[in-house]
This record gives sequence, structure tokens and C-alpha cells, in this order.
Amino acid sequence: MSGLLQEIKLFGDNIPWLEALREKGKEAFMTQGLPTAKTEAWKYTRPRDLQTDDFVMYENEDTEECNHCSCEEEEKKDACHHREIKNIPIEGYEINFYNGKLQHNHSELPKGVFIQSLPEAIIYNDEIKHYLGKIVDINNYPFAALNTAYIEEGVFIHIDKGIKLDKPIILINHTHSCHENLYYNIRNVIVAEKDSSLEFLEVYKYSGIEKSRYFANIVNEIYIGRNAKIKHYKLQEEAFKAVHIALSQVKVKEGGEYKSFCMQKGANLARNETKVQLTEEKAKAEVNAAYLMNGWATIDTTTDIEHLSPETCSNQLVKGIVGGDAKGVFQGKIHIAPDAVKTEGHQLHKALLLSDRAEIDCKPELEIYADDVKCSHGAASGELDAEQLFYMRSRGIDEDTAKQILIEAYLEDLFSQIDNEQIREWLRVSK
Amino acid sequence: MSKTPLLEIEDLCAKVADKEIIKGFNLTINEGEIHALMGPNGAGKSTLSYVLSGKQGYEVTSGKVLFKGKNLLKMSTEERAREGLFLIMQYPVEIPGVPVTTFLKHSVNAVRKHQNLPELDTMDFIKMVREEGKKLGISNDMLKRPINVGFSGGEKKRLETLQLSILKPTFAILDEADSGLDIDALKVVADGVNAEHNEHNAMLVITHYQRLLNYIVPDYVHVFADGHIVQSGGKELALELEKTGYAQFVKEK
Ligand SMILES: Nc1ncnc2c1ncn2[C@@H]1O[C@H](COP(=O)(O)OP(=O)(O)OP(=O)(O)O)[C@@H](O)[C@H]1O
Ligand SMILES: [Mg+2]
Repeated sequence: MSGLLQEIKLFGDNIPWLEALREKGKEAFMTQGLPTAKTEAWKYTRPRDLQTDDFVMYENEDTEECNHCSCEEEEKKDACHHREIKNIPIEGYEINFYNGKLQHNHSELPKGVFIQSLPEAIIYNDEIKHYLGKIVDINNYPFAALNTAYIEEGVFIHIDKGIKLDKPIILINHTHSCHENLYYNIRNVIVAEKDSSLEFLEVYKYSGIEKSRYFANIVNEIYIGRNAKIKHYKLQEEAFKAVHIALSQVKVKEGGEYKSFCMQKGANLARNETKVQLTEEKAKAEVNAAYLMNGWATIDTTTDIEHLSPETCSNQLVKGIVGGDAKGVFQGKIHIAPDAVKTEGHQLHKALLLSDRAEIDCKPELEIYADDVKCSHGAASGELDAEQLFYMRSRGIDEDTAKQILIEAYLEDLFSQIDNEQIREWLRVSK
Repeated sequence: MSKTPLLEIEDLCAKVADKEIIKGFNLTINEGEIHALMGPNGAGKSTLSYVLSGKQGYEVTSGKVLFKGKNLLKMSTEERAREGLFLIMQYPVEIPGVPVTTFLKHSVNAVRKHQNLPELDTMDFIKMVREEGKKLGISNDMLKRPINVGFSGGEKKRLETLQLSILKPTFAILDEADSGLDIDALKVVADGVNAEHNEHNAMLVITHYQRLLNYIVPDYVHVFADGHIVQSGGKELALELEKTGYAQFVKEK
């Protein structure tokens, strides 16, 4: 078996329901194992880098300061002292994770909104039982099963009915290279009750030496009540040897709306997977993504939108920019159940290839079991337009800048859909 | 006083897609001069302008080109532009997603940086572009739109002229700057071009019609056929061509 199942002491090992949940996760992971070349859902993205046994999980007290790390080389020591991430210029309620461990808590929250660490919620808040592990299909998502086996780190965000949060909640996950081959799981549970609305931004960054190798395995469980709205933004900018696997599992009730935009630029192997279930009438989802990559990276964007009720609606726009020897993967599924009449599901994937060695794999899948639906999917890939580049260069703009301008223009329709201006501008410059 | 040459083209030969298009082209243009280049469709006029701009795929097989005494052919497209070469394209490209002002700001500052001038700040820049735009009948609204996207033929040429007036090149090639312009717009564009002309810069005006040359008055007119100049004269040559056409210059095929 893989070295990803490790004996470590976890919080709350005396809480029976929690232990049972973890046990189920462990079993499900052992049954499935890591995806192989034959695993259909992982056909294009092979997590072979994870087959090695050298990833290490750290117990809570291990990660406080730098003196635990094996920093013998001067270069590394220096890097260790630059552990801060520059402030993100976005007003919001910040939550920080450092090497996969929740740090301090956010600033004061408005009435009707609470954020608890997962252990806090498990001990003091019975409500978590209704949500934790309830929508993630651990038998079909091996990494979610693994994540379930190690439930400990993460937050529980809850917003009461009718409350509209004024500023976004910002989850900053900062990994620092002190710990060789660090491996961690984070599990977040986000609940928006009826008529509420909430924006949240996930940020994954690293500091220290670029070459640090680590594995972040993230699962978000997101519940959207009737007529509630969640806007979910994410920037994945992990170190270039890192592995980042994330699943957001979302359930949307009547008239509710899930709107997401995930921009991935980092990691050697990354997969951002979004599964949305539109369980009641008029539920809506908009799942957008961008990936920008170079070098040898593989970045995967996988979506699965299930239309389970009438008049549900989904839209997906995914765009990639792939250079070097990198590989971009998009797998997008739209499933329309027999009852889901008058439903709309649209999907578009576009990619720009910046080098001859870059690769794109795109697998759209439509499963339509209802009549009277509107569905579409499209895919296109191309190169930067030589005439446009020449035009700009003939006006004095150097080639690199001209390319950057064209790339920004290519992504513009994604950015322009981001409602929060600060987030939009920040993501635009982070591109 | 002898004139200072700005652009010296000697025995230039160039290929596109393995086809020899420019065949032994010779021309010297001095500071302060306006030259007109006329000739039948497909003669290679646009090809010449692309070769001079350093467009990829246009391969110089022999000859030399000096710009302000420097080897032009060794420079990249952007270096040529920064050195003061400018081309009004026959078919300006559309660039969706890139607003005119964003693009112009990059362009102006790239050229200024090369000339060791400080970059313009956004406010000054916008003010300047709006003023220049107004002279050419370009609205503020057009400046916000993506480059050339949905612009009419005439609007595209106005935008090209706007760039000429803000980049202030030392040598400009106008490749059919008059095509697609109505009579009033022709005058606006010509006025814009004339306003930029002085004794230190020069122009090569490619056109099919004498009409433009009533406004932008050339010192010399050249007939270009089959890849090189077959006849040169004063501005009266353009009038003559209007009557006779190019039959006398075109080889029987
Ligand atoms: N990329 C290319 N591939 C193949 N042939 C080309 C290419 N570019 C130009 N040509 C050919 O070179 C010749 C010269 O074209 P060019 O556009 O320079 O003519 P022109 O003198 O500008 O004509 P017009 O007056 O119609 O604008 C034409 O026969 C054209 O088909
Ligand atoms: Mg032409």
C-alpha cells in the first residue's frame, strides 16, 4: 500500500462518530488505492509522483518553528527566514494555514456568521455532524477518502439564513519548505443557509526555496441552501515540485447559486476537481477556471455537474495557457437526470499552446437522460495570433510584453465575470 | 547643402513563402522628403513594407537597408519601431480583448523608454491621446474599445493615423492609408499626416489613387511593378498614370 496512510496521532480519537468516519475513509482508500493508468477518471493525469513512500505527515506540535527542519545548507536557512507571504490586498476575513495547520483565527465576524476550526466544531457544535463527510463520495474519490481518514485540520464556516456577508472570507494556505516532503490534508465545510450570501477565496502559496516538494490534499464540502449564493474563488500557486489535489463537492438547493473561479498556476501536479449537485429546482452553477503553466507541470481541471431537478442551469468556461513541456487537462461532465426537464448546461474549454511540446487533453462528457433541455459543449485550442503579435511589435512593444497582453486579453472574459473588484484585480495581476 | 539620407535601400531582394517578390529594389529617401509608390495589384508594395518592418516569414535574400545609417535588417520589429520606423498597415488587425488605450500606452512608453524619456503617467497619457484623437474624429468611446474590433474601414485608418501622430516616427510607410476612406475622412487623415511631417522626417506613401496625393503632396513618385521600381518622376507622374494605367509597365504573361 502507498505510504500516504501513516500512523499519526489525530485529535479526537476518543470521539466514536469521528473515528468511524475516519475508518471508513481509510477503508475506502485502501480499496481503491492510488489511481493508475487504468483509472478512467485519472486517464490523463497520472499521480505517479505519489507512489513514493517519502511523504511525511507531521503531528500538530511539530510545525511551530523552523528549528525542526533539516536546514543545513545556508541557502535553505536563508529561505527559511522569509516565511511570510506578502499581504493580499483584499479586504476580508482572513484565516491562515501554515504548512497545513490552522494558525490564528480571523478578525471579528458580523452577527450570524461563524468560523470554527474543525476540532472546535467537532467538540462544541453538534451541527457539524450533519455536514462533515455527508456529500463526499469517498468510494469514487480516492484522495477524498484519504482526506477523510485524516480529518483534523480545516474550518467550519456557517452563515445563518438571510445574512449577506459584506466581505469575502479568505483562506490562505501557506506552505513553507522547512519540512522535506511534507504531506497534509485540509478539510473545510462551508454552509450557507437559506437566502444568505457569502464570498470566499482560497489562496495556496509557498515560501522558501522553490524546489520544495510537498503534497497538499484539500477537500471542501459546500452546502448552499434555498436562494442562497456562494461565490468561490481560488488561486493555486504552489511550489513547482509540489502536488496539489483538491476536491470541492457542492450541493445546491432550490434557487441557490454556486459561482466559482479557480486559477491554477503552480505545482508539478495539480488537480482541481469540482462536483456540483443541483438537487432542487432552479439551482444554478457557474464553474469557471483558468490554468497557466510552463515547465513540466501537469494541471488538471475536472468538473462534474449533476442536474437533478427541473430548470436547473449550469455554465462552465475553462481556459488554459500552456507552454514548455507542460500538459493541461480538462475533463468536464454534465449529467442531466431524467426528471431534470427545462434544464440548461453549457460548457466551453479553450486553450492556447505556447510551445510545440505543450499538450492539451480535453474530455467533455454529456449524459442527458431528460427531454426538453438545452446543452452545449465546445473546445478549441490554438496558438497566439502571429498577425496580432506583429502588429503590436511594429508599434514598439517587445515580444514578451505583446504575448502577455494577448494572454490577458484571452483570459479577459473570465476576469470580467468576477464581481468582487479587489479579487478581480488581484487575480488579474497574479496571472 | 546636401541632404541627409534617412532610408537607403540597395538591391533588395526578398521572398515570401518561397516566392521571390521583391527583386532588386533600390531607393534612397532623404530627410524631409515624401515619396509616393504606385503600382498594380500584387506588385509587392505591401510585401516591401513588411520586409522593412521585419515581419516574420519575409525573408531577405540579398541587398541592404540602412536606416539613419544603421543596418535595419539586423533589428527586430520592435527595435525598428523604437528607432522611429512606422507602418500604417493596409489591413490593420483586430485584437479582441485589448483596449486601444491600454495598447497605446504600452506602445508610447516602449518608444519613450528607448529614447530615454520618462514614461508618461496615466492621466497625462489619457489627456494627450484624447486631444490627438479629437483632431482625427476619434471619440473617447472608441479609445476604450478593443483594437480595431468592429471598427469601420475608415475608423481603422484613423486609428492608424492616431498612432502615427502620437509615436512621431522619423520614417513612416503609409500602405493605402486612403483605402476605405470617404472624402471627408480622407482629408482628416491627410491633415493628420501632414501635421506630423517636417524637415527631419520622411514618408513613403503607397497608394492607388492620385486623389490622396492632392493632399499629401509627394516630392517623388515611383512606379513599382514586378518587384522593383520601373519609373520615377515628380508628382505629375501620378497624374499621368491616372490616364495611362500600368499597362506599359506590366510584362505580358
Ligand atoms: N504570405 C504569402 N504567401 C504567398 N504569397 C504571398 C504572401 N504574401 C504576399 N504574397 C504574394 O506576393 C505578391 C505581392 O503581394 P503584395 O500584397 O505585396 O502586393 P501589393 O503590391 O501590395 O498589392 P495591392 O495593391 O493589391 O495591395 C502577391 O502575388 C501575393 O499573392
Ligand atoms: Mg498592398
